[in-house]
Amino acid sequence: MRVIECTDLTKTYLRKNVLDKLSFSIEENKITGLIGRNGVGKTTLLKIIAGFIKETSGQVKVFSERPYNSLNVSINSIFVDDQMSFPPAIPLGEILTVAGNFYPNWDRELAKGLFDYFSFDPKSYHNRLSKGKTSTFNMIIGLASRCPLTIFDEPTTGMDAAVRKDFYRALLKDYIAYPRTIILSSHHLDEIEDLLEDVLLIKDGKKHFQMSISELKEWAIGLKGTTEEVLNFSDGKEILFKEYFGLNTMYAVVKNDFSEPLLNKAHLVGVEILPVQSSDLCVYLTSETKGGIDDVFNKR
Amino acid sequence: MSLTSVNLWETVKKQYFFKLKANIDAFSSLIGIQLLALLFSFGGVGSVGMGGGNFSINIKYYSADLVIGFTLIWAFVTAIVITTKPYRNHDFTFVTNRLSSSLSNILYLLTASIVGSITAILAGNLLKILAHILLDDQIYSFNTGLQELVMGIGVTILYVFFVTSIGYFIGTLVQESKLFIILIPVLFFGILFLEASMQKEPFLINVFKFYGMESTLFLFIIKVIVTVAVFFTAAISILNRMEVRR
Amino acid sequence: MQIADWIESEILNGHFESDGKVYSQYQLAEMYTINPATAAKGLNLLVDENILYKKRGLGMFVSGDAKEIIINKRKNQTLKRLVRELVLEANRLQISEIELIEMIKVANDQEAEQ
Repeated sequence: MRVIECTDLTKTYLRKNVLDKLSFSIEENKITGLIGRNGVGKTTLLKIIAGFIKETSGQVKVFSERPYNSLNVSINSIFVDDQMSFPPAIPLGEILTVAGNFYPNWDRELAKGLFDYFSFDPKSYHNRLSKGKTSTFNMIIGLASRCPLTIFDEPTTGMDAAVRKDFYRALLKDYIAYPRTIILSSHHLDEIEDLLEDVLLIKDGKKHFQMSISELKEWAIGLKGTTEEVLNFSDGKEILFKEYFGLNTMYAVVKNDFSEPLLNKAHLVGVEILPVQSSDLCVYLTSETKGGIDDVFNKR
Repeated sequence: MSLTSVNLWETVKKQYFFKLKANIDAFSSLIGIQLLALLFSFGGVGSVGMGGGNFSINIKYYSADLVIGFTLIWAFVTAIVITTKPYRNHDFTFVTNRLSSSLSNILYLLTASIVGSITAILAGNLLKILAHILLDDQIYSFNTGLQELVMGIGVTILYVFFVTSIGYFIGTLVQESKLFIILIPVLFFGILFLEASMQKEPFLINVFKFYGMESTLFLFIIKVIVTVAVFFTAAISILNRMEVRR
Repeated sequence: MQIADWIESEILNGHFESDGKVYSQYQLAEMYTINPATAAKGLNLLVDENILYKKRGLGMFVSGDAKEIIINKRKNQTLKRLVRELVLEANRLQISEIELIEMIKVANDQEAEQ
């Protein structure tokens, strides 16, 4: 079943298309990573899915309904980010009770367990929490609500490494016990890639690609060797990224459509074949310029 | 994971109780404001004195008018405040749509109106008793039986609720565009001055006459309810188009 | 595929017996904090290589000749790669084929003596 279906989804702010004819769908009970550079419209997309903001044109369906003003979408989904706001008059302990009143699948024990594990004070207030603690608290709400569609927009903002690790583990354990559709947007693909089943990469408000994480891991390879040989083997292919080392050594990332014999041949002439980290690959694929940071300095 | 389907009124009910809890501070400020009004009223709202020879009579009028006035202002401000961004965002943290958000706001404002009115009227009675005890005044009260007390409260509720609907509507306009912060006072006072300069009877007087001078209780109730409905419906239809958390 | 490698090693060092049940995709997912779908892909890879076999409704089991298959596979992959690299380096250093074979023999003898 498709939980989310977008067709030609466009969102315009001040005459600029933040989302530009975006079409994709997300299957039920998968964890999808939403990846893209800053400002490509990830948050905008997620807020449209959550029904917070309106699409300018195109179609968006969540659980087969338009999310904007849909109570059914609202009760079956939750949007978690560091901007989630809670009434300043209600202490943290009671917020858990309130959330439990609203969300039908709310797991009180899980909420309480995480709340105590991360040593929150039930009498404290949300607006007095530090950045990392705010994210941690919001994450607890997001997990314990157990919504069939759970959206985490940059959930680990401000969390330290240990808490991030705990969060990923908690997310995965609860997902295994209660499978649901989860969207995770993050800058740290390297941190979340193990959790993901699918990756949706957005560039310039458009879908760049959507594939499973295992496909992504093998989608490209890095060739490293003498500039001459590397250029020879990458001839006719689009070089997604290149870097030069020393006098005559080159590293190039290309799409992995080499045959096994060709790879062996490359290896024999001294070209190293290296796997490309999916997080690096995403950076290469979404780079605005063809060059790198060095070009800025080379021009001077 | 199986989907939950939900009905509007169930959501509104949950949001209503959530709002009572979240906006509890509004009620403590109500108490503060009414106490302040009581203090101001303690000298009496009007007095007539006469004397001659070896006697003097001093008649003071004690009334809860000032308390009601302050309560109206409180209700107006409360209604505006709940249209602001933070309050709308709180709703969207949990389960809501724009209609349920407004409906629960209206229920909350109705509750505020009822609580504000009852305390205001009771404060008026308290005033008279306090004046009797503390100032040793003799009370010559108009006959205030239970029926009149209830009616007084009822009419006050209508007035206060009326004011909240205006507040909610104005607050919504301001959320739609900050221009209304300037536009509304300019329009309001502009018309007043214009009418004054044209020697016309100010429209406010007419408005006041239309509601306040209505001698049939039933018609008064109808007039207020219709007006309140118009303001709230207008506000809801504007809010329905409004994006949150952008 | 790290999961597949890990299970292979566990089979080689006898942690999983022949016809013994291996972990389910969910157990693996929890152990390694990875997506269960990724774990399932790792398991299926081993099924494709006949190292594991499926019993409907019961899970995955180690096949009888799992160890041999793994050893053969590793021989083919790892050893061949090392030999290729050896040849490559020998070429760079302009060592002839005979000389290289001689060196391997010597190394092999030394290993045997020890």
